[in-house]
Amino acid sequence: MSWVKDAFTTSVGKKLLMAVTGLGFLGFLAGHLAGNLTIYWGADAFVAYAEHLHSLEPLVKAAEAGLIVFLVVHAGTGLWLFAQNRAARGGRYARNKWAGGRTVFSATMPYTGVLILVFVAIHLATFKFAPEGENVWEVAAYVFSQPLCFWFYTLSMPVVALHVGHGLWSAVQTLGGNHPKYMPAVRVVSLAAAAVVILGFGLLPTAVSFLAEPIP
Amino acid sequence: MTGTMNLTLLVWRQAGTSDKGRLVSYEARDISPDMSFLEMLDVVNEGLTQKGEEPIAFDHDCREGICGMCGAVVNGRAHGAEKGTTLCQLHMRHFSDGDVIYIEPWRSRAFPVVKDLVVDRSALDRIFMAGGYISVNTGQAPEANTIPVPPEKAETAMDAAACIGCGACVAACPNASAMLFVCAKVSQLAILPQGRPEAARRVLAMIRKMDEEKFGNCGNERECEAECPKEISISHIARANREYIKAVLGSREK
Amino acid sequence: MLQSNVPSGPLADKWTNRKNELLLVNPANRRKYTVLVVGTGLAGASAAAALGEQGYNVKSFCISDSPRRAHSIAAQGGINAAKNYTNDGDSVFRLFYDTIKGGDFRAREANVFRLAEISNLIIDHCVAQGIPFAREYGGLLANRSFGGAQVSRTFYARGQTGQQLLLGAYGALLRQAAAGRVTLLPRREMLDLIVADGRACGILARNLVTGALESYAGDAVLLCTGGYGNAYYLSTNAMNSNVTAAWRCYKRGAFFANPCFTQIHPTCIPVSGHYQSKLTLMSESLRNDGRVWVPKKPGDDRPPRLIPEDERDYYLERKYPSFGNLVPRDVASRNAKAVCDEGRGVGPTGRAVYLDFADAIARDGKAAIEKKYGNLFAMYEKITAQNPYETPMMIYPAIHYTMGGLWVDYNLMTTIPGLFALGEANFSDHGANRLGASALMQGLADGYFIIPYTLPDYLAQKGPGTVSTDHPAFKEAREKVEQDVGALLSIKGERTVDDIHRELGRIMWEYCGMSRNDEGLKTALEQIPKLREEFWQNVRVPGKAADFNQALEKAGRVADFLEFGELLAKDALARRESCGGHFNEAFQTEENEALRDDENFCHVAAWEYRGEGEEPGRHEEPLVFENVHLTQRSYK
Repeated sequence: MSWVKDAFTTSVGKKLLMAVTGLGFLGFLAGHLAGNLTIYWGADAFVAYAEHLHSLEPLVKAAEAGLIVFLVVHAGTGLWLFAQNRAARGGRYARNKWAGGRTVFSATMPYTGVLILVFVAIHLATFKFAPEGENVWEVAAYVFSQPLCFWFYTLSMPVVALHVGHGLWSAVQTLGGNHPKYMPAVRVVSLAAAAVVILGFGLLPTAVSFLAEPIP
Repeated sequence: MTGTMNLTLLVWRQAGTSDKGRLVSYEARDISPDMSFLEMLDVVNEGLTQKGEEPIAFDHDCREGICGMCGAVVNGRAHGAEKGTTLCQLHMRHFSDGDVIYIEPWRSRAFPVVKDLVVDRSALDRIFMAGGYISVNTGQAPEANTIPVPPEKAETAMDAAACIGCGACVAACPNASAMLFVCAKVSQLAILPQGRPEAARRVLAMIRKMDEEKFGNCGNERECEAECPKEISISHIARANREYIKAVLGSREK
Repeated sequence: MLQSNVPSGPLADKWTNRKNELLLVNPANRRKYTVLVVGTGLAGASAAAALGEQGYNVKSFCISDSPRRAHSIAAQGGINAAKNYTNDGDSVFRLFYDTIKGGDFRAREANVFRLAEISNLIIDHCVAQGIPFAREYGGLLANRSFGGAQVSRTFYARGQTGQQLLLGAYGALLRQAAAGRVTLLPRREMLDLIVADGRACGILARNLVTGALESYAGDAVLLCTGGYGNAYYLSTNAMNSNVTAAWRCYKRGAFFANPCFTQIHPTCIPVSGHYQSKLTLMSESLRNDGRVWVPKKPGDDRPPRLIPEDERDYYLERKYPSFGNLVPRDVASRNAKAVCDEGRGVGPTGRAVYLDFADAIARDGKAAIEKKYGNLFAMYEKITAQNPYETPMMIYPAIHYTMGGLWVDYNLMTTIPGLFALGEANFSDHGANRLGASALMQGLADGYFIIPYTLPDYLAQKGPGTVSTDHPAFKEAREKVEQDVGALLSIKGERTVDDIHRELGRIMWEYCGMSRNDEGLKTALEQIPKLREEFWQNVRVPGKAADFNQALEKAGRVADFLEFGELLAKDALARRESCGGHFNEAFQTEENEALRDDENFCHVAAWEYRGEGEEPGRHEEPLVFENVHLTQRSYK
């Protein structure tokens, strides 16, 4: 099976890993967002969604395992690429200007990636490993009532959006999907996905704060 | 024509590969707006020679934008800021009197500086050597019209084939990747029916060679496409990526 | 006496007959032979690749950082072949005839016929290499017409045919490098030819990065170093194109043939100032739709659009009603010079004529013109900052190609056994004037399809085994070159190399340019030696010998141009006729056309070096025409 290793350790191979795992995360985000949108229907709907999810325990476990593998691959490969790319430059330019290809989305990929990693860790700590007994709505309501947490969550979403805005079309390009007829649309969809992240996830803390009963 | 101008140049001077190098300031006086950038450097070099200093070394040859020999990063832009232009075709009318111009060599670990603005781009030859051709011996070819090639394919192949091998894509890439150079050739030969028999072998060999030469990894930043003097599209990178996937999953090549 | 070595038999059978009688080298023995190929343009790269494919041990030298930079890359228009895909009556014979007539009957029949014969193989091979030639809707190869022919036989890849063909040859060369049969030696400049026991057996090259002089021994040397247009300083040649390698071979005993046959291209962008470093060619195809004119009144400096129709002189249409703006390159060029000499030239320097598309745009619409010439118009605008859709282009002739070169026999061998010359570096196929789209054809014919047959014959006769680089001939050459380099660096005079080169260019252009006369040529013969003397006393070459030193490289090349220029003028003076690119005002028809003297000058003039300060010897190779009838060109 050495051909597998050979195939995925080249520069293009590594990019393929990034693209496939990245698209995997986008799929996960879509599902996650669909579930979270139940928040707008209030506490009951959200809790029901969470409980339904728990009833699918084996599937969830499998998905979690997959996500962990993806995370390790995506973050590991990303850091590897970042280190290689820095070394490849060989001396800095005294003057350096973007020529019109690079965007704030693409230029920040490694940094937004690391920030997202930090976010995921904190997010898991606050929700996944929240104290037993409380339902998910109560946890959310409590977390978002803390100003620090509220702003951390709200402001993290533009960071994710930056990553997604380049990541989606970049994954399509890496997987060879560039076609003069469709590529402009892919770029629009990519930016739209970024907007959805900001609006969909980014407004959740506000929504929860609004809908939640004041904490006694 | 408008009058002449005076400019301040900050030029990278480096005596040899192992020398550290630094930016040195020169005055360029009475520069005509009709001069090309390299003619402006010629004038500066004439002055340096007269003063007994060593002229600035820079590669150049055809001075009509086709040989790919010239190139420098001018004010942070490979071949300067004009679109679809090599350094030799960049004219001084795009600058104004009193401008300060930074002139630096291509920077990439794979392109060691030979002297001043001259870099060693032999890594590009070695990548090409790994498979940038169709293996046909002289005398073997069938009659030229045996295999029809749809004009649209021939045109797309020609778009990719227009690469002049100047290395601006590497210089401009934030990751110093040579993907546009490599993929332009992979794509050209993958499009044409004559190139298909070796397509899998070619893409694997050329990508591996590129990595071995210590170029960076493509991050789809699109700076290469924006700076390419022949305006080669990154859709050729996508095609090469496709070829790579096909080679890895669908061919017996290892 | 020069032995052209042309095979016997009818014209159409000569090459076949020759191939049948040439000796072969057994495949197992080929690796025992080392072939040094100098230059990596179309001729050099294709020769090195083809010989590598056969199994010879090849060393490939080029002055650039990569073989792909050779100036063949700049050829725009296309490559001719006698495929007759357009069904318009083309044939090998017609391509042969057009080429020999275009060359004003100063080329060898047998060579030109072979070139036409091989032309079709080149297209087959290049298509198989993946060269993206233009195609018709059905996917088959497209052709276009080109100057000097009445059929459409030109294959093209946009405006970059030379580039694409060169990249094909470069790929083939690198394939052999990967296979270990070719060693690439870039950034090496050949500075001397090593001749021992009457045979070429090596070269001395300067490593342009380190400055070291390197000795290479081989069983044969192939000189593929292009033309000498840069003797004129301003030309459409690349900056690094030079005569040095060929000139050093000449000084080692290779005859130099027809140096005065230089081609001027009529449609180049004019000089804009004294700093000008080179000239850019605009494709000849522009003359299909553009109308050439100048004001009737000398010194009329009104903007072109303000000059009324009846105050314009469409001089080509006036003088040549049937061909009009489409007269051949030499005729168009000379007329441009003539009107400028009358003071009717336009532009800031007065050395330009208008090429006006206003009528074509009015007739066909801007879109149609843009489709045909869009890229050329954009290139023009990039260089001049003027929009040719709105204001007429300004053009002026420039040196473009040199038909002369090292004399070679039918097998492409020079007068030094073991030294072969290919492509523009030899003199063989274009006579006194080259037709458009024929240079690419010749370079590839020589490299892919001629030398792989004729070189083995020489090698088989000689047997394997190179002279050691310890041979005294290497030592002698090295000492000579070291001495010259040392001398150049130690002069420390007042004038830069470019400054002197510019002056040489002015002399050459003024007195040995597109229109020559005895007085001017004699002036050149007085001025060039003086300038050469000044060069060796007053040039300033900065830097060191053991370094990357571009000024030193240039100095060596200009030193050779200063010697070569004199030979060119001598040759022009000695040829008491006008033909093709060589136009001596004393020899013209009543219609101001070149007037040949077939009685006395139907021959190749080959010059022999006889030592420093000695008059070179002029040898003649008579040209015999058995298959074509010599005619006077007329374009009225």
